[in-house]
Amino acid sequence: MTQGNGWMGTIIRVNLTEGTIKKEPLNMQDAKDYVGARGLGTKYYCNEVDPKVEPLSPENKLIFMTGPLTGTCACSAGRYEVVSKAPLTNIIGAANSGGHFGPELKYAGYDGIIFEGKAPEPVYLHIDDELVELVPAGDLWGQGVHPVTDAFEEKYGKVRVATIGTPGERGMLYATVMNDKNRAAGRGGMGAVMGSKNLKAVVVRGTGGVKVARPEKFMEEATKARTMLREHPVTGEGLGALGTQILVNIVNEVGGLPLHNGRDGSYWDKADDTSGERLVETHLIKNQGCFGCTIACGRVTKVEGRGDFDGFGEGPEYEAGWSYGAACGVNDIAAIVKANFICNEQGMDPITLGSTVACAMELFEMGAIPESDIGFPLRFGDAEAMVKLAQMCADGEGFGNTIGLGSYRLAEKYGHPELSMSVKKQEMPAYDGRAIQGIGLEYATSNRGGCHVRGYMISPEVLGIPLKMDPLVTEGKGALLKTFQDLTALCDSTGICLFTTFGIGLPEIAGQYREAVGSDETDEEILLKGERIWNLEKRFNMEAGVEKDTLPPRLLREALPSGPAKGKVNQLQTMLADYYAARNWTADGIPTQEKLDELDVTY
Amino acid sequence: MLVKFFATYRQIAGCKSCDVPAPGSVLALMADLSKRWPDFRTLILNEDGTDKGDDVIIMVNGRHIEHLDGVHTKLTEEDYVAITPLVAGG
Amino acid sequence: MAKQLVVDPKKCVSCRTCELVCSFKHNEEFNPRLSNVSVFHYEEAAITVPIMCLQCDEASCAAICPTGALKRQADGVVTHDANKCIVCKMCVSACPLGNVSYSVAKKKIFKCDMCDGETWCAVHCPTGAISVVDPDEVPDKKQLAADKLKAAVEEVLA
Repeated sequence: MTQGNGWMGTIIRVNLTEGTIKKEPLNMQDAKDYVGARGLGTKYYCNEVDPKVEPLSPENKLIFMTGPLTGTCACSAGRYEVVSKAPLTNIIGAANSGGHFGPELKYAGYDGIIFEGKAPEPVYLHIDDELVELVPAGDLWGQGVHPVTDAFEEKYGKVRVATIGTPGERGMLYATVMNDKNRAAGRGGMGAVMGSKNLKAVVVRGTGGVKVARPEKFMEEATKARTMLREHPVTGEGLGALGTQILVNIVNEVGGLPLHNGRDGSYWDKADDTSGERLVETHLIKNQGCFGCTIACGRVTKVEGRGDFDGFGEGPEYEAGWSYGAACGVNDIAAIVKANFICNEQGMDPITLGSTVACAMELFEMGAIPESDIGFPLRFGDAEAMVKLAQMCADGEGFGNTIGLGSYRLAEKYGHPELSMSVKKQEMPAYDGRAIQGIGLEYATSNRGGCHVRGYMISPEVLGIPLKMDPLVTEGKGALLKTFQDLTALCDSTGICLFTTFGIGLPEIAGQYREAVGSDETDEEILLKGERIWNLEKRFNMEAGVEKDTLPPRLLREALPSGPAKGKVNQLQTMLADYYAARNWTADGIPTQEKLDELDVTY
Repeated sequence: MLVKFFATYRQIAGCKSCDVPAPGSVLALMADLSKRWPDFRTLILNEDGTDKGDDVIIMVNGRHIEHLDGVHTKLTEEDYVAITPLVAGG
Repeated sequence: MAKQLVVDPKKCVSCRTCELVCSFKHNEEFNPRLSNVSVFHYEEAAITVPIMCLQCDEASCAAICPTGALKRQADGVVTHDANKCIVCKMCVSACPLGNVSYSVAKKKIFKCDMCDGETWCAVHCPTGAISVVDPDEVPDKKQLAADKLKAAVEEVLA
């Protein structure tokens, strides 16, 4: 079982076509070089899969991977990563999730699972310590995330479940893998890959433990990090009390909250109706933490007395609050909460879903989508229509299937691909790259397409963590983003939550990692692993045929009409040059052989 | 002049925003607000009242005061100010 | 007199940090199933309750133990001596609250020993949902009730 260095030492390999299960030793050299979770999952994936693979074909593989800190009492160490080629983007997809599933997998004795092939009939994987078996999914196929999870708890008792809803079964391009009901490995369509393999769920119960290399020192480092988080105003107070949606008013204030698919700039006079403050007043029951987390930003919420909007569940987080809110011009917070419930219950990415509805609204208002295609009018601000489309998308009904294509394919179908607010076909989140320059650079360069959690430039540009940078300038953004991306890759790969980086930094992440795995590497050597992971992802994407690093024309050419960033567009080219230089890549954004050799990235 | 409050500062002020006569500078405004709502004193000003507190974000017309003249940023009746405790999200 | 662990479910965010640090303190591994404290989450009620040994004055586990392995110490804590234990598991059956456990993997009995006064679950709890109180001190809740009454009286007099 446990190896005593943060690792369990065993990977489960499941060939779904053959119905075979093998347990193999963890590749310790790769674990050392690529840390764990996101990095190690990607390394395993790159070792084994042709980059040209069709994401939803049996030749693709799907990897669940934990990190060396997952399941320990390192700060917020409940994370695992789902890695595959993403059907939404056709590049590497790595989606990170919290909750309690990842730790339970380790307690059962496994660091990760590799799924190959495609099961002839729907199945689920059942893990109970030593026992690992494929079981026919039967009636569970066709059911949503919550009833499936309940059914497994009924059958097996206290188990942890990662599953897909019906959109994942249908191969919907941004279906998520959901664990512990409301936690999502959210972006890029990992749920669709799972569905394409006829794999409904992974059910796990583990009774073992995780040991670390230097217990006493590890506990010291972990306690130090946890104490810093508890004492920091953001992680110790703000996130728990007010949730991530507390950002709505602040981002709106700096003129960075994209309104109406970005068509009408980034300042909304109704933003406060959709804010974290408002959520606390109206629908919040309680805040809740993931495994081992001192921050506890999760929202347990309820809508009552609103007819079709009624429900009980979790969220929304800031991004979902924006995608259904400002992006669609909907200021009815009950509708926003409801649309988020639908995403959780059926396993869909709310950023992409809300953004795609917003894109459809713009296309409808300009006459590019006829009402007959949708079945009803679809104007900005229409809460009923927005919720209805979310449900239709979940159910695979009518125009909901077109929404299920994501905004790029939808906009292309109606002749206006330029109106998709996406990068590499994945929708950008809730910050306008015109008002906040560095986040635009992050969207353009992120290894999984439009994404904020590969290098969260909002921290320095809006919040001043760990230093304050002017959101409107371009100087220094490239170099800082490079460091952020590397640090994020490291953080994700250890198994701790990215939100810890609001309160701790490299010394604390490296400190906990070192004592867990028993390494004597310096902070800088450990950070270098993050850079190695980044370059590996980039190399894979190049082999897969990734599109160039750019932004939607709206961000590059349409100046913001109002607000503090009035008249601004994103100055991407200037920042890109700095960024590529900081990465020691060519001027075209290609990793140099010198850099790959220095990092020992072999592909 | 309009002053907006976000997050937990709304509980302190008991409102989302208020109108005040524009004082000369951001620092003077912070002092005025602290006088009106004493709970603000330790949050929005430093100990000796010569600068802003460590964990407050102050924006004038949507711009952080760090990118203007800091607490010496001048205010007129046409300006609007937003203040919020340090929070984050994602 | 022993200090007492007290739980406040309203403050618990179900992070299970207590389970982690407890299992680590006693076993040097992170394993919630070897923890003396267990966290129970009630989804629909959105309430989470940590449960651990409350060191009963009339301790059934110690009363039933045939070898004296379970014994009350001077500080009031009922401790378990593995050297005297024959793992008959009578204590597991006897505890009305389920707070004495048996590990199949380790073939041993385990229960809360208040970490020899260090009470790791309370120390590491991020929200104060688990705390240690001295029963001889006036409880916080009584103080809160007094505060409320005072406020009410003030209002009436004002």
